[in-house]
Formats: sequence, structure tokens, C-alpha cells
Amino acid sequence: MTSSTATNTQTPAQAMSYTLAYAIAVFFVVSAYATGNLDNFVQMVGLAPVLESWALKDYTELLAFILIVLLGSTVALLGGTTSIIMAVGTVGSFFALTLNQHPLIQYLTLAAVLFSIGLYGMVVSRNAVRVLMSIELMLNAVNINLVAFARYVDPVQVKGQLFAIFVITVAAAEAAVGLAIVLSIYRNTSTVDMERFNLLKW
Amino acid sequence: MDQFEMLKAWAETNVETTMFYILATLAIPLAYGVILDKTIIRSGFILIGVFGSICGLFLLLQAQFLALAQLMIYAVGITLVIVIALMLTNPRMEKSQLSNATPANQLGAFMVAVGLFMTIYLSVRPENWTLSSEPLDVNNVEVLGRALTTDYSLPFEFASVLLLAALIGSIMLAKAEKPPKPGEDDYEYSVVEDGPISDDARHDREPAASKR
Repeated sequence: MTSSTATNTQTPAQAMSYTLAYAIAVFFVVSAYATGNLDNFVQMVGLAPVLESWALKDYTELLAFILIVLLGSTVALLGGTTSIIMAVGTVGSFFALTLNQHPLIQYLTLAAVLFSIGLYGMVVSRNAVRVLMSIELMLNAVNINLVAFARYVDPVQVKGQLFAIFVITVAAAEAAVGLAIVLSIYRNTSTVDMERFNLLKW
Repeated sequence: MDQFEMLKAWAETNVETTMFYILATLAIPLAYGVILDKTIIRSGFILIGVFGSICGLFLLLQAQFLALAQLMIYAVGITLVIVIALMLTNPRMEKSQLSNATPANQLGAFMVAVGLFMTIYLSVRPENWTLSSEPLDVNNVEVLGRALTTDYSLPFEFASVLLLAALIGSIMLAKAEKPPKPGEDDYEYSVVEDGPISDDARHDREPAASKR
């Protein structure tokens, strides 16, 4: 996702300054949420009854998340560096979404973030090896989930860790076979472009 | 300055949460680096960083065995295999000439990823988990080993069979050597003409050439 949505008239310095401004804005949103100022703001503006009617009374962090996403898409359209904006926005919204939660929910949210990043990379990337890397990321996110459950839900017989061992085993086998398939396709077609792996189309 | 002092005091009392956030802020940008970096060999090495920070998270969750297994299998083994595959499929280390995804495609993927994340988050957010406040057993490696050899011995054996099958299968797939045709004993010239000459074919040819 490199400067695809950005207009090409921007200079690198401009893009960098937009990105920096976005990082500062995200920092302010997260700190406003962490210190409770966002709650006060919601009360002041009169959003509280609306949130209550949607059964989202305790979900002020969703507001911070939506704010960060909207700011990020605006800055990306104005012409910031898209990859840095995505990373900063993800870290900021991860902070906003997990600061006041139980540790289990923090770990599950981190795993969800990594899983979504892996999904995005799997869909977007055109290199077959990078797709395999994204799959490894997703499997690791699942492992974090399992180990977090073993720690906070079932600490006596650590079944989550047992499942994680089997997941690691299958992941190792999957990586070996997947890379062997990529190698043998490369021998036959001399490319690793996912778009050109259409040997089996009807 | 006051707020900084407050933050410092908070970090000193909540070491675990602080470490969690440090590792998470390492892991998320590194994961973006893996999927977005232009030079694919670098993203293969960045993958080590992601796996390393996840290993730290496992240590925080008191899963010592899994942390070390993560380090050995993922951060060393799988990354090594991936980097070797990158070197074999992109020999001149050039910037990839692959077609990029269209912006519409990227936007669609981004929307799907954010939607998936929101679905997962909203479903784990309600605090009705049946949490156990017991601490984890100090030597939970022993618990793991007992479970693996008693209750879970059948999946354990199946895992070994799976690994053996994967080993044989990946060797057979990656080898890709043409069997010599019957009646054709001049083996060293049976190289596929069009397409890139495979590595082992090149190795086969060189000693034969030096013999003559």
C-alpha cells in the first residue's frame, strides 16, 4: 500500500509532515481516552443518550477507535505515507481499545490485530512467499489466543498450551510443504506472482 | 512532568502490563513491515522480530516451553526456510517486478480486515469469561509433558507421522528431477530445454563436462 491513494503532486517532506501530524493527533486521542477526557467530552456534547440507546454505554473506546480511523483515512487521502499511517493508527487504536480491559481481553485484541494484519497481507501481496509469511503471522496470532486462554481461563491443566504445540507442529509442516510447492511452481513457470498462478483455470 | 512521574510510578507497579504494551508496540509495526516492505528479503528478516516479540509475550504468559519452542521453530527454523526459498525464487535480489494490487483491491482488503477485527473485538469485549484466578503451576512444563504422554499420546504420534509425511512430501516436491528415460543411458544430457535450468540439473552436468 505505497502511495497508491496519495496524489503524486506531494513532495516527500509534505507527506512526512502529514504523517507526523497524524501521529501527534493519534497520541492526543489516546491520551484523552486514557485520562477520561473523552468521556467528559461525550457527556458535554450530548452523545451519551445516543450511545445508551445503542447499548454502547461503556464503549467509549469505540469512539476513540472510529476517530482514529476517520483521521487516518483523511490524512491518507490528503497524501501522507500510507504504510506509516496504517501502523501508527493500528498501534493507537490498539492502545485505546485495550487500556482499561482485563489482561485476557488485551491479549485477545492483540491476537485479533495480528490476525487481521495477516489477512490483509495475504490478500494484498502478490508474491507467493509473502503470502506464506502472512499465513505464519495468522497462525502465530491464534497461538497467542491459545496461550492466553491457558493462562487466564484454564491454569491447572494447561490445555491451551497443548493445542499451541500441535498448532506449531502443523505450521512447521505447512511451511515446508508450501515453500516446496512454491519452488516447484517457480521451476515450471519462473515466476512467483500470485496473479500468474492460473495453470488450473478452466 | 507530573504526568510523566505518574506514568513511571504506574509502570513500576504494573510491570506485566507495561511489558505487554512494549512487546505489542514492537509486534504490530513489525508485522506491518513484513507485509508492506518493498524488499521481500528484508521482510523475511523482519519476521524474526515479530516471532521474537511473540516469544516475549509467551514468557509473560508463563509458557516457558512454548516460548523456547517459538524461538527455535519459528524464529530460526521457519524463517530460515522462508529466506532460503526467497533466495531460490529471486536469485538476483532485484526489487520485485510483480504486479501490485490495485487501489480498489487494497481498499477492499483493508475494509475486510477492519471488519474482521471489529467483529472479533466486539465478541471478546463483554466480560463474561469464566476466568480462573488461580496462578499457573510453576512447573507447567511437567504438566505439559505428562499430558502429552498420557492423555494426548495419540495426537502426539499422529503429529510425528504428519511431520514425516510433510518431510518426504516437501523433498519430493522440491527435488523435481526428471527420471531418465528407458533406453537413454546418456543421463547427463537429459536436461529440460526451455525454462530455467534447475539447480540440481546444473550440478549433475558439471562433473560430466569435466570428465570429457
